[in-house]
Amino acid sequence: MDLVPHLLAGLEFNFQTLPEQLVNGLFLGAIYALIALGYTMVYGVLRLINFAHGEVYMLGAYVALFMSYWLGYTPQGSKETSSIVNLLMMLVASMVVCAIVGVLIERFAYRPMRGHSRIASLITAIGVSLFLQYGGALFLPSSPPPSINEKINPFRGSTHLTLKAPDQSLKQQIELLKPEATRAQAEFDAYLQSHAGASEFDPGPEGKPLKDAANKAQTKLGNAEREYATSGVGITIRYGELIIFCTSVVLMLVLTYLVMFTKAGRAMRAVSHDFDSASLMGVDVNKIITYTFIIGSALAGAGAMMNATFKGTGLTTFFGLLPGVKAFVAAVLGGIGNIPGAVLGGLLMGMAETVVIWMGQSQYSDAIAFVVLIVVLLVKPGGLLGSNKVEKV
Amino acid sequence: MKFWSVRIGSILAAVGFCFLLDVLARTNLGSYGQRILVLIGIYITLAVSLNLINGITGQFSIGHAAFYQVGAYLAGYMSLRYLVQQHHAVPAIPWLIGMMMLGAAGAAIAGLIVGLPSLRLRGDYLAIVTLGFGEIIRIIVQNTKELGGSYALDKIPKIQPIWLVWLLAIICVATCRNLIKTARGLTFLAVREDEVASSAMGVNVTRVKVTAFVIGSAFAGAAGALLAHYEGLITPTTFAMDVSFIILTMVVLGGTGSITGSIVAALFLTYLQEYLRGLKAANGADLAISGNLVVAGLLATIIAVVAIKRLMESHWGTPTKRGLIYVAIIVVAVIGTRFIAMPLHAVKTLAQMSVPAGQLRMVIFAVTLVVLMLLRPQGIFGHHEFSWSWLQRLFGKKGPTAGVAS
Repeated sequence: MDLVPHLLAGLEFNFQTLPEQLVNGLFLGAIYALIALGYTMVYGVLRLINFAHGEVYMLGAYVALFMSYWLGYTPQGSKETSSIVNLLMMLVASMVVCAIVGVLIERFAYRPMRGHSRIASLITAIGVSLFLQYGGALFLPSSPPPSINEKINPFRGSTHLTLKAPDQSLKQQIELLKPEATRAQAEFDAYLQSHAGASEFDPGPEGKPLKDAANKAQTKLGNAEREYATSGVGITIRYGELIIFCTSVVLMLVLTYLVMFTKAGRAMRAVSHDFDSASLMGVDVNKIITYTFIIGSALAGAGAMMNATFKGTGLTTFFGLLPGVKAFVAAVLGGIGNIPGAVLGGLLMGMAETVVIWMGQSQYSDAIAFVVLIVVLLVKPGGLLGSNKVEKV
Repeated sequence: MKFWSVRIGSILAAVGFCFLLDVLARTNLGSYGQRILVLIGIYITLAVSLNLINGITGQFSIGHAAFYQVGAYLAGYMSLRYLVQQHHAVPAIPWLIGMMMLGAAGAAIAGLIVGLPSLRLRGDYLAIVTLGFGEIIRIIVQNTKELGGSYALDKIPKIQPIWLVWLLAIICVATCRNLIKTARGLTFLAVREDEVASSAMGVNVTRVKVTAFVIGSAFAGAAGALLAHYEGLITPTTFAMDVSFIILTMVVLGGTGSITGSIVAALFLTYLQEYLRGLKAANGADLAISGNLVVAGLLATIIAVVAIKRLMESHWGTPTKRGLIYVAIIVVAVIGTRFIAMPLHAVKTLAQMSVPAGQLRMVIFAVTLVVLMLLRPQGIFGHHEFSWSWLQRLFGKKGPTAGVAS
């Protein structure tokens, strides 16, 4: 029951796998960043934690699933090859449906609550989130776990980057051990050939030392090869994850353009800065809020489609619960209401999670989000890039 | 003299009520009915103690199941470890009371830890922190072998006094009710209404908030200890996030700040949960509802809510007239569900789907939350409490005017 030794007992620090885990974290963080953008934008304009955002993400994954069925990639389907067009269709479908769902939630659940206290809006958000989780569980397939057929993904391969070449002296050692191992094995094989009664498992009294020698040489060779393989530092990158990352970056650039260089984006920033003044200056606040929900939900839909397609995790209606909470933490970590902050926070969250896994504590990888959240709120409530202004009553 | 006789009288009445309930339940109800009675008692404790934090002090906490879990696992583990080892040498009831105190103490410490961040956080941020804290506790329990890991803490000695469960509920209600009648308790209400103003008037806001968290979580911990010994088996999923939301729904439905409301809502919703789970079809299997009826119910709810909302905003007629029309709308919606379901029957996938009634429970809770917020955000009772003078006024007698109500 002693907690600290219990937590520290299983820690492992294998620095050779760290770079790979950090890159994995970066890829994971790209998804979190996409979801976090939705949280942070809605919080910016409405001062509301959109609890149902994770569920919008979940619905996006289901839309991708149904789209893949429609394209013929059912579990029993016989289609073997796929093209990027299919993936793009899935992506667009997810983004469109999520945007519609987001707008509907805002229109029918959040807008009537706008005059009431923030807690009332928060309770509504929790209610909508629970409704989509449990109500969705009645209608959407979840058992046996449906997942998107991996054949729809043409990018299944991976590439290996070498950061530090393996030790060459070990290579020579292997070269030295190889003939020895081959010779011992050959001798044993010849013995088996010449003695009809002997089998591999019962070589008889004469064969026994030969077998031992062969085994010993093989073990030695195996050990040397393993040592050689782990002496280098490399990163294995799956193409699918690389695509997730690149698409996310593209979407974020589009978002930057929309927010910084369009009229609606300027209006959005104005509403986020001061809701009442913006409406006095002639900004159609309702339109801007709808616009915000469209962008935020579409980003979540894109993240969901990519995660479900390229990682192949099974879907349940609780698919969005943990990513949603983690992305929210990412938004808080970067400074809620701050768009670059959400991206930074998302990437850091992803890396924090993989570092925990790297330390051999994968069972706590979900808890790290909450620890980060509590620490951030206690130490720097404004987040890394947010303002340090304490909120007044 | 009168003061003391009333006090002692009400304490005796409370204890007598608990024992009477125990005897009646044991003679008249089966084990299923007794279990529902116990769960109602436990949920009343949980809802009223959360109401102390959420409604009375105004600190929005949505991780109450964490404290419940701390109490349950602490007490369950100790009983498993020591009571079983000593071959039940200690009499059961005093041991259970000791375990309740232990569970309460453990949960109070947890409450202190959560209460401290509440000094810097408000509203939605605090909500997320309490939610996160609950999840951290659950994950730690899930990964601790001594506590049964993700399976269960099994074979806890069963001690099942119904009266103790209800006595705890009554103590919890009495504590909260008496607290807000005292001068110290008024500071809790002051913090809820306006933190800055109350701090300017000399209220120690820090202390009030932390006290609320400590008292509220201590009661939840004691309730957890009782649950552990009643069921004899607890798993991390017994205390998952949805339990927190169920307790929250009770508080919100009853009215944040109204103890009466929390009690009524806890009673009603706990019974509803078990009722839905226990519904049987004609052939004895669990009752299943066809998909088109579920969809029709949702549509009818939406239509009714929109109609009531429109009427509320129009300020048409007298309140009595409007009240009658609300009732009429609800009746029409209930009957109309059947008619909406008919055309939906044509949709094959919906008609063939069958939903077990027990699975609807969280959906009903979620819909309750949203509908309640749209129509009556202050909850059924608002800030009002049950009182004798209110009852007298209801029957036309002119009672004393309400004092510092709400």
